[in-house]
Amino acid sequence: MEFPRYHKEIVTDLLDGKFILASDPKFVELKNSIEFYNSFFKESFDFDVELKSDFAYILSAETNEQLSRDICIFFGLLCYELDKDGKNFLEEIQYAEFETDMLDSYFDNSAYIDLIQNNNQLKNSENRKQFINNLGRRNIIEKTNDKKFSFTPAHKVFMDFAANFAKGKLTSTDVEVETNENK
Amino acid sequence: MKAEPKTIINFLSNHFETVKDLFETQTKEGFVRKEFLNEILKENDSDIFNQLIEYKFLKKLGDDYEIRGVYFKFFEFILNEFKPLLPETIEKYEQSIGSLFKKIREGIAKDRNILVQRINELYNEVREFSDSVEKNTLRLVTETRELKSNVDKIDYKEKVRKASFWIDYYITPLNSILDVTHPQSITNRLFEISQYVNVRRLNFDDENTRIQFEKLYNFLVQTNDDLMRQSKILTNELLPLIERIRTESLILTGWIEFLKQPYKAPIPKVFKVFREVPYSNDMYWNAKEYFEQFEGNDEVILEDVQLEDFEKWIFNKELYHNKLIQSLPVNSFFEWAGKTLKGEYKSIETDKFFSLTTLLFEEGINLELDSKSDRQLIKTSQMNLRVPKIKITKHGIS
Repeated sequence: MEFPRYHKEIVTDLLDGKFILASDPKFVELKNSIEFYNSFFKESFDFDVELKSDFAYILSAETNEQLSRDICIFFGLLCYELDKDGKNFLEEIQYAEFETDMLDSYFDNSAYIDLIQNNNQLKNSENRKQFINNLGRRNIIEKTNDKKFSFTPAHKVFMDFAANFAKGKLTSTDVEVETNENK
Repeated sequence: MKAEPKTIINFLSNHFETVKDLFETQTKEGFVRKEFLNEILKENDSDIFNQLIEYKFLKKLGDDYEIRGVYFKFFEFILNEFKPLLPETIEKYEQSIGSLFKKIREGIAKDRNILVQRINELYNEVREFSDSVEKNTLRLVTETRELKSNVDKIDYKEKVRKASFWIDYYITPLNSILDVTHPQSITNRLFEISQYVNVRRLNFDDENTRIQFEKLYNFLVQTNDDLMRQSKILTNELLPLIERIRTESLILTGWIEFLKQPYKAPIPKVFKVFREVPYSNDMYWNAKEYFEQFEGNDEVILEDVQLEDFEKWIFNKELYHNKLIQSLPVNSFFEWAGKTLKGEYKSIETDKFFSLTTLLFEEGINLELDSKSDRQLIKTSQMNLRVPKIKITKHGIS
């Protein structure tokens, strides 16, 4: 049986919770063989492959609730602070390079300081660095060096979530399903 | 008007700041309040009220004033600050252009003077229409970019309100006026006119009228290009730009709502990694905690210690113990220790003296403390010691 090119890397990356980005040659291979991968992940693990225009990832019935919540809090705070700073946060997140010092300055002077201090991943500079590394492992950010990073298109998952949240599209049923899954 | 045109232009140039202030006031309020006029004249220290009236710059409006239209338009033009026209105001040109075109067609075989005049009128109407569209687009571009760059740091609610305002009242209606795919748009009407004029400029029997048709045709072709360009700016630049502000604000609203109850709100799914790793997920924290306990927080001071003497002299307990035993009974232990050291080294080193003191605690040494007698003074190399008189007996026999 012949497998698509990069098959092993594609499966390993997705099982590691990574987003495969359009800039990665693996993405084209995954996209071209999407039917195969849909059935492969469904039959092997009961996972769903989510293929978007510029990234792909897999989802299971079980979700990493803590990480998802931390990422949402992180993006929520960052967008809020960037906007407060008079910046077009969507453009900044899409195109700009971020420095950890700048991030520290936003978080340490935030009006949401209580929320930040009570979050283990975000409460101080050291923990935030680890958190950023974690986002790097998932391909949500791309590190330029130890102190600089930029966001990959994978951030859109969370921006879409915020837009849907605002629209009230998440119905009470959705909420219940999500909550049950997390138990 | 008695004044020379050059005098008026010079006057406007010399008092530009004052007239510009008046223009800005009228742009904002629609007229110039009497009190504001006096204030501006006083502030700029210019006594030009009479000239403003004489050159017909200002017109009296009850107690207040108004800049005459011709000057106002001139300033709009030179300052590139156009008050946006509501699309319904621009739409009126559709009617006037349509009605003139209808009359041209109906009177094509009638009086030529009237025909030429109507052609010129149509030309003027099209130019005014095209100018209005251009001014509006320019203004909308400025407004939208300002909103986007947000130099005034207005909050997102106000930003989205403004963006919606420009989209709903100006950009979308203006776009539909210019939309070439819309059968009722003015652009389509102009296209229809240009087709008619194109035929007439070639086959009309009177040369003068042909020339007028030719002029109108060329102008319509140019206008059509201009309008297409304006429409492109609206479609390709303004709508996405302003739509983006709306999206951005929607996302921000979502985050603000989420942050109100971040631990209760629903969350997007994130894949849970099932991969087994040979170390715990908390490895980092555990290791960090482990190492942190060894981090000494007490201040440590390192001093240079003269190690030479220590290295040279090692206390030989057995030797001194034997010496003591041989000297028994000893009336005063400290005196004995002092004498012994002095005998050997010619001075009593404090460290050596204390080392000998440890002999007191050796087994087989019987002490008797004469608490009544005075303390003895022993002078060591570094200090004076006042020591009690301790008697050492020989196997319990004095």
